[in-house]
Amino acid sequence: MYVIVVGAGKIGFYLTRELLSARHEVTLIERDAMVSATAAEEFGSILITSDGTEPTVLGEAGAERCDILISTTGQDATNLTACQVAKFSFKVPKTMAVVTDPDHVPLFRALGVDVTISTTELILSHVEEELSGGPFVHVLPLRGAASGIVSMRVPSDSPVVGQPVSRIKLPQGTLLTAIIHKNGELKPAVNDPELSADDAIVAITPPEKEDELWHALTGEARR
Amino acid sequence: MSRHVMIVGCGRLGATAANALLDRGDRVTILDTDAENFRRLRPRTRLSMYVGDGTSHEVLRRTGIESVGAFIAATGRDTTNALAAQSAQTTFGIRHVVCRINDPIRSEMYEQLGLTTLNPNDFLVALVMHAMEE
Repeated sequence: MYVIVVGAGKIGFYLTRELLSARHEVTLIERDAMVSATAAEEFGSILITSDGTEPTVLGEAGAERCDILISTTGQDATNLTACQVAKFSFKVPKTMAVVTDPDHVPLFRALGVDVTISTTELILSHVEEELSGGPFVHVLPLRGAASGIVSMRVPSDSPVVGQPVSRIKLPQGTLLTAIIHKNGELKPAVNDPELSADDAIVAITPPEKEDELWHALTGEARR
Repeated sequence: MSRHVMIVGCGRLGATAANALLDRGDRVTILDTDAENFRRLRPRTRLSMYVGDGTSHEVLRRTGIESVGAFIAATGRDTTNALAAQSAQTTFGIRHVVCRINDPIRSEMYEQLGLTTLNPNDFLVALVMHAMEE
């Protein structure tokens, strides 16, 4: 079979390798030149460095004689567009999309994507270590300041559970602004509320102090 | 008659559309992933601004898509706009959906799929042709 794979990230890369070893004909399309350079070492001439959502690019890749198009990028929007262009502009019989947001699965199916692969749970463990923020949820970068607003849930075994917030030794330049109780109640830090297990804290902190803040809230070194 | 319009993308197009709609009395909810882009708008009544990803159904729902009458996908990226607009149309059943698509071949495809597309380049080309005829 002739397969076009869009995206040479982890999924696209290994998928292409597997398809080739099963003796399928494959064209791999990757937009990012850096990612593409790595893939080129392995795959050479079957790689096109370009945007796989562009009809002209898919045309050059021979989409009209393609049996399956599989879009594997980390962007749901890209994967949907690649599949729709393949399906409706080139009549590709089967389109498959990787979907990172599980909410998008029914929509993709309704819009003609034949197979959706929801990676959220499959690759969560894999992705976690690559996320720069680790345990923090980054709420908002602050305009004009080198700090951002972060949020974190306090683990139940943390030494700060049961302590008033004023007792937490915060890193320099970090401001703990509020606690969100697990029932949703917002407690401003100025009232010095006591921390309970599973409370979430909201803090303003420079990125380089996040490890210290993590330590202050858990008693553990950042993993 | 005033409407409630949701706009995804507060670049030049999104912001200009928001201002024009507000001027004629409509209510506008606008989303952008970058809070910096809201500098293009001044705070007004009937204007709500949210930092968030307009392709996320969770974000769209929480920012009130279920109560809007019209939806404009106006970011600079075709793929983002196509996903946002088709979410509005198919998932949330919004009747008036406009989607900015810069690529002319894809905009033709989306038109065939029932999406109202808008290509800023077409306007520019038309203006250029018009100017050359004068």
